[in-house]
Amino acid sequence: MSLIECRKLSRIYNRGAEEIRPLDQLDLRIDAGGFVALMGPSGSGKTTLLNLLAGIDRPTSGELEIGGLSLGDLSRKELADWRSEQVGYVFQLYNLVPVLTAYENVELPLLLHPISSGERHRRVSAALDVVGIADRHSHYPRQLSGGQEQRVAIARAIVTEPTLLLADEPTGDLDRESATAVMELLSRLNKEQGRTVVMVTHDAKTAQYADVLLHLEKGRLIEQEEMAS
Amino acid sequence: MKRIIRTLPFVIKQIIRSPIRTTLTLGGIAIAMFLFSFVESMRDGVTAATTATAEDATLVVYRENRYCPFTSNLPEFYSKKIERIEGVANVVPVQIMVNNCRASLDVVTYRGIPEGDLEKVLEPGWRIEDGDSASWMRRGDAAIVGEALAARRGLSVGDSFTAAGITVFVSGILESEAPQDRNVAYVRLPFLQESMKRGGTGSTVTQFSVRVNDPTTLDVVANAIDETFEHDEFPTSTRSEKAFVGQAAKDIIELVGFASWLGWGALFTVFALVANAIIIAMRDRIRDHAVLQTLGFTGSLIGAMVIIEGALLGLAGGAIGVFAAWLVTRIGRYSMTMEGLNVEISSDPFILVIGITVALALGVLAGIVPAWRVSRLEISQCFRAV
Ligand SMILES: Nc1ncnc2c1ncn2[C@@H]1O[C@H](COP(=O)(O)OP(=O)(O)OP(=O)(O)O)[C@@H](O)[C@H]1O
Ligand SMILES: [Mg+2]
Repeated sequence: MSLIECRKLSRIYNRGAEEIRPLDQLDLRIDAGGFVALMGPSGSGKTTLLNLLAGIDRPTSGELEIGGLSLGDLSRKELADWRSEQVGYVFQLYNLVPVLTAYENVELPLLLHPISSGERHRRVSAALDVVGIADRHSHYPRQLSGGQEQRVAIARAIVTEPTLLLADEPTGDLDRESATAVMELLSRLNKEQGRTVVMVTHDAKTAQYADVLLHLEKGRLIEQEEMAS
Repeated sequence: MKRIIRTLPFVIKQIIRSPIRTTLTLGGIAIAMFLFSFVESMRDGVTAATTATAEDATLVVYRENRYCPFTSNLPEFYSKKIERIEGVANVVPVQIMVNNCRASLDVVTYRGIPEGDLEKVLEPGWRIEDGDSASWMRRGDAAIVGEALAARRGLSVGDSFTAAGITVFVSGILESEAPQDRNVAYVRLPFLQESMKRGGTGSTVTQFSVRVNDPTTLDVVANAIDETFEHDEFPTSTRSEKAFVGQAAKDIIELVGFASWLGWGALFTVFALVANAIIIAMRDRIRDHAVLQTLGFTGSLIGAMVIIEGALLGLAGGAIGVFAAWLVTRIGRYSMTMEGLNVEISSDPFILVIGITVALALGVLAGIVPAWRVSRLEISQCFRAV
């Protein structure tokens, strides 16, 4: 069963008179529970696609359906609420809030949910446990290594138990060892918790954790590869 | 609304965990609000000393064209003539003596009045605290000291103090609603005349304090008094006490009027400080705001958080400054004195309320435009900008 369906999905930016088409009439289906790696040269539209999937950008034309919901029809506010329920986003540069501790960063998305502070505490602790960073909960981002920061960021992305986990080059800034740890974590979240993962990567080794490889070029899907697991 | 409450600790952490930015901003706001409050205290004092109320029933009879207690000399026997004018309830001859001719916040003003006349000259609503009225009767050098003057000088009953070369014994502390009564020392007229006698003041006094029967006849009685002495050797000029203060302390009042501009400037400073702190914070937090939006925070929630941050900065800085100003006026009990008349620097707690409210409102106001801009940010643009 497909979770995500794109039909003739386009995103066009106007820079002065010039028209830029990072995504051009893209057709794509992603199955629920899948682990997808998006690959392609720089400027091929990977981040643009990921932002559309996250509902933080809107398509210029075409259709984007996620879980039966047509994102193009939602208002800004509805999109924001949908994001807070359904999407976890992991950035290449972690993007933790610097004035908050690891614990507080993970707690942040839960402030939007009508749950008791006890329940919030339980969920944050559980998420920190999953990413293996519970002992660092009171550290500020500047006191953590890159790999640790990224694990906190992943905890923040999964603490709301989203169906869709999006990651834009999550290991792009990490050394090999930390990268492996992060990839095993994402893989585990996919296999054990059943979250659909869509990840952008440049790195073939990282891409091996996925079960589908999508190759983009100039805003189009040029190749789809099923990986044997 | 619930979301705003749940995110409040986050807003507070953002403020507290930028200690340098916060300290500088709060310090600036506190100083500006201190200034604002102090100016308000002065304005409040001017209003209290010069604004007529419907119950005012006191006239001051002064020598025509004189404004200084040293040059206003009127014969004591005028009181007999004034007493007979229709509408006059009572007359008290008053000798004024000040210890300091310069502008100062700590002038001692003596008012010499006849022994039995204290109750006639005091504005209604007075109370003599810790009073030993017997010693006011018994001792020639006894003084009933206004509470503000006593607080300023640290005086209590039984103390002696010297000002203007005159030493008096404090036999009572006077509590009163009237700013003049709170700030002077009442002594006996003969004692003051005696002490001042350096070149024959004789039986002259500075002024007469006249109480009328009916407050609405204040002007009529004043005219009647002036007409009585119009062709006399010592013509008089009679006004209500508040109008008299407004005239004699004109310089102070103008100065306070000018200080009001400082007050407005202080308010603008508060606005600018909060706006500046917030605008800089917004620039530092572009990425944070984009992250928050990615997590599902709506633009309006982030905007509300920005306004709350402005409000908290205004409130905290304002509270510090306003409270400090209030403490200073409360403890100091300052009074600006000119020609023996007092314009208090008020320490009315109401000024606290006004100051804190104003600071809070300015904080909110300063946050509105940045909040509006932040709430409209496009997330995908933000990540490109950083
Ligand atoms: N908001 C925007 N305004 C203008 N142009 C944009 C905008 N967003 C993306 N682009 C352009 O769209 C194209 C695709 O960008 P995108 O970020 O999706 O590429 P990418 O595949 O993620 O590349 P990289 O591997 O370098 O991250 C680029 O040419 C980029 O300059
Ligand atoms: Mg990219």
